[in-house]
Amino acid sequence: MKFSIQKDRFAQSVQDVLKAISSRTTIPILTGIKIDVTEEGVKLTGSDSDISIESFIPQEEEGKILAEIEQPGSIVLNARFFNEIVKKLPLDRIEIEVMNSFQTVIRSGQSEFNLNGLDPEEYPHLPQIEEREVFKMPTDLLKTIIRQTVFAVSASETRPILTGVNWRMEDGRLVCIATDSHRLAMRKAAVETDSDAEYNVVIPGKSLNELSKILDDTKEPVEIVITDSQVLFRAKHLLFYSRLLEGNYPDTSRLIPTESKTKLELNTKEFLQAIDRASLLAREERNNVVKLSVIDQDTIEISSNSPEIGKVTEQVKSRSVEGDELRISFSAKYMMDALKALDGTEINVQFTGAMKPFIIRPEQDDSTLQLILPVRTY
Amino acid sequence: MKRFYPRNGRVILHVDMNSFYASVEIAHNPSLKGLPLAIAGQPEERKGIIVTCSYEARAFGIKTTMPVWQAKRLCPHLVILPPDFNKYRQASAYMFQLLREYTPLVEPVSIDEGYMDITESYSLGKPIDIARKIQARLLQELKLPSSIGIAPNKFLAKMASNMQKPLGLTVLRKREVPSVLWPKPVIEMHGIGRKTADKLALMGISTIGDLAAIDNYSIRQQLGIRGVRLKEYANGEDRRKVDPKAAEEFKSVGQSMTLPKDETKQQELLKVLQQLADRTAARLKRKGVLGSTVTLTIRYKDWHTITRTKRLTKPVEQAAHIWAAAKALLLTHWNGNGVRLLGITVQDIVEREQADIQLDLFSYEEEAKKGALNELIDGIRQKHGEDIIHKGVHSHQKGRPKKGKRPDGQLE
Repeated sequence: MKFSIQKDRFAQSVQDVLKAISSRTTIPILTGIKIDVTEEGVKLTGSDSDISIESFIPQEEEGKILAEIEQPGSIVLNARFFNEIVKKLPLDRIEIEVMNSFQTVIRSGQSEFNLNGLDPEEYPHLPQIEEREVFKMPTDLLKTIIRQTVFAVSASETRPILTGVNWRMEDGRLVCIATDSHRLAMRKAAVETDSDAEYNVVIPGKSLNELSKILDDTKEPVEIVITDSQVLFRAKHLLFYSRLLEGNYPDTSRLIPTESKTKLELNTKEFLQAIDRASLLAREERNNVVKLSVIDQDTIEISSNSPEIGKVTEQVKSRSVEGDELRISFSAKYMMDALKALDGTEINVQFTGAMKPFIIRPEQDDSTLQLILPVRTY
Repeated sequence: MKRFYPRNGRVILHVDMNSFYASVEIAHNPSLKGLPLAIAGQPEERKGIIVTCSYEARAFGIKTTMPVWQAKRLCPHLVILPPDFNKYRQASAYMFQLLREYTPLVEPVSIDEGYMDITESYSLGKPIDIARKIQARLLQELKLPSSIGIAPNKFLAKMASNMQKPLGLTVLRKREVPSVLWPKPVIEMHGIGRKTADKLALMGISTIGDLAAIDNYSIRQQLGIRGVRLKEYANGEDRRKVDPKAAEEFKSVGQSMTLPKDETKQQELLKVLQQLADRTAARLKRKGVLGSTVTLTIRYKDWHTITRTKRLTKPVEQAAHIWAAAKALLLTHWNGNGVRLLGITVQDIVEREQADIQLDLFSYEEEAKKGALNELIDGIRQKHGEDIIHKGVHSHQKGRPKKGKRPDGQLE
């Protein structure tokens, strides 16, 4: 194997596949990056057996030569060192050559590294995904969906299924739900698809976070293929495989209140800032709890009391307050997470009582919903 | 006097009572003095196990956790007494009272040991003189022997008090760490038990000096953040303050039960655990508090005792939550050997009025219903006693429950 390649493009690809590589793996060869060179270009692969990422650099793109292939072949190199080396090489051009017994020479300018490689035949095969039904969505929409849901997954392994985001596809519409059982985030979106296939799968939150980091904010479509145990995201020159979580995602639809007893309309930014200020004093406390009280037709009060530090109250104007009087306590963190995830300058908050979950939605927009369970104070 | 005190550092004493239970018994009954004496746990219920013994008994090779018959064989005229925890608690209270005469910064660690920060006590004399005075008074006024370590921090003070027993008075300076501590095997270090020592041995660490020299990365890989702290200790560094309130923060509510036989059936153990959870929940309720960590104590038939703790996401008071946590701990940590005693302790206590409970999406509806039933049961218990009513699952009684603190806290 011998080729030379443009450094920045190559370094970016190395960075991308590195996202899948963990230093704590039980399969030693997975600490490496696999490089496959063909006449068409250079393919890099990284995997931790849960996530696998493939990045491809074509030999030529838009008339520009990116790589010069002298001799095709494959090698596996230690990812951590290789990444550092590539980043720090002096010139814009890198030459990589595999000598005998997997000895690999990396040259750039006057610099020359000799790395001990591993046998590429030992590298596990990536999941075989049959080309079944494919659906598509713009990259920026996919990133938005991830941003609006993945923060709400559970960080605790007590119920492993809740560490993932539930993706359900019905009637050409995708419904994504994440919950850690204290709050829930939901996002619906229409997707492009030729089939009427229905899915109900759970994608690990970690996978979606990594995917989101690699994708650019473009309108280019991402193709998505879902099988029984894997999901594949295919973008330009990039393949991202993730294992799916096993088990049934709990049915949350009946837990989301449909009616409301108290309804507020608020300016997102003003409300967020008031919560942020009220939580200043509560932050030290275990739960970071703030209290919301309805004052009159157009005012609510946000307050927080930490006996040892002090207290804070702030009145916030509401465009409208409908329904019953209410005093409710909740985690300021959950509220701020939810408000940051919502797009839109105005929001609706609907309560059904101080001990019941409440929902937050952007005005005039049914595609997103955030739900929070209150805190019971004695 | 100030010149005998460090300009920037602190002066910490670790006061450790020598064979405390036995010493208290001797103080109450001076005729026992000079005799080989052992305190044996619950001799009426089972073959006795030595909980602690006097130095005279130790001279015969008698050790804590040894069965009485074996001890008797080593020393036929061994005097054996059952433990009397009221007596020990009383003596402990007197002892800490005496320590507080020298500084308000006294932190009890267990019934028979505590730390003192005497940095600001220079008007009372040189550190070594204060320590000598405390030791002499404990012996004269309470008839209790102690060993005292004097050092710039808690860890070194603890190591120092351990170096000379009984009636030791040891100063350990930081600059002496390489010559005094480093040659010792790691197992002698406070905070390192058999298991940790085994893990360290695999890393090629056998002495405290080896541990002091290890790089942070590898120790962290092996033992996590605790490893890094142990390494700091090995270098004589310890920034923990003497906190008189520490003991209060560890306030706990719990129940333990000595089983009528060495139990090896998981099902039976779970039944006992259910009862303990019920009673613990009842006591929490009566005290009007909630706790957010659950600790399970398992004492095996060889008297080897382990405690394992689970931190919950929110403070709890209900038996079901305590039971779930304790059960998970038992299923993970029980090694299948015969169990002599089980205990549940709930810690990180908060007053009910100050406890905020984050509701759960999957249980908020049931919570209201269960709340009503639990209140009913508690009402009946309060009126007629704790054993009058149990949930339907396991109603027949096994063994006699013992109220009180964590059972291992009563061991020397």
